[in-house]
Amino acid sequence: MKHLKLYHIPIAYMLLYVVAILLTGVWLFLLSQGLASSDILSTLIHIANAPEAKSLHNFIEVATPHMFAIGTLIFVVAHFMLFSTKVSQKFSLRISITLFIVALLNIVAYLPIIFGLVVSGWVKLLDLGVFVLLFLVLLGMVAFSL
Amino acid sequence: MKFLVTKELAHVALLKNLMVTVCVALFFYLGLDVVVHGYVLGFDVDGILSSLYGNAEEYIEPILIDSLLLQVHIDLFMSLFSLLILSSIYIRLFAELKSSKYLVHVVLFLGLLSPLLLMLAYFTSEVWVFVWLFSFILGHLLAMYMSLTIVKKLLIK
Repeated sequence: MKHLKLYHIPIAYMLLYVVAILLTGVWLFLLSQGLASSDILSTLIHIANAPEAKSLHNFIEVATPHMFAIGTLIFVVAHFMLFSTKVSQKFSLRISITLFIVALLNIVAYLPIIFGLVVSGWVKLLDLGVFVLLFLVLLGMVAFSL
Repeated sequence: MKFLVTKELAHVALLKNLMVTVCVALFFYLGLDVVVHGYVLGFDVDGILSSLYGNAEEYIEPILIDSLLLQVHIDLFMSLFSLLILSSIYIRLFAELKSSKYLVHVVLFLGLLSPLLLMLAYFTSEVWVFVWLFSFILGHLLAMYMSLTIVKKLLIK
């Protein structure tokens, strides 16, 4: 690719932007679950035991923009792996598809709680944790490939 | 992002016109984004300070952390996509200029910094409001300048 070095700048900033988006997203979720101070652990225990009640309207309001935003974000970040010479495309594909599936599960994880099928919120917490962790792995792969 | 590897833009009319239109759209987006922030936070310093910290005399409550964080979360996402598109096209067209590297750095850095500065201002002191305002306006002006120079380069030979 011509002028390859300069393209590293927006890609590197993209990684920082995505980390900031993930951090603010997790913070927003914790706030919606009653995070009042810096006591994150008690909020996590509260989510696992009895997550905050949400209406279907509230769920759709949150899920709709996230379906678009997370889908496009994974696509944009993962497509840079096409240009990688350090990580195999097979491995990139596995990570990207897994991340996409986990992202979808993370978005819909609140549905069983809303319909009263599940009382505990540990599935949502687990999904969120795996999603953030996998996204960080993908970002690390892009950073390693720069 | 296949356009990044296209050899010669001059011969690809569709690509050229698409880049012009996306830059025009982003130019208006950036301008309107300033107006939106004006409506949400205030159009002057007093208005912004009242929105962030409240005003007892005028019975204005400070903005809720949830609302501010949601704004920051959305701002980061929108900045990422708009500036990524702009900087990619700018690099493609102005890679030979030494200033390109610094301009792209500054625009992307300010785009990332200003939402974070807003949070810092909310949690700390009024001083950061001025720093946020400066970085927000400068970042938007530079990004608008980038979009205009791209359009100029593509339309005027």
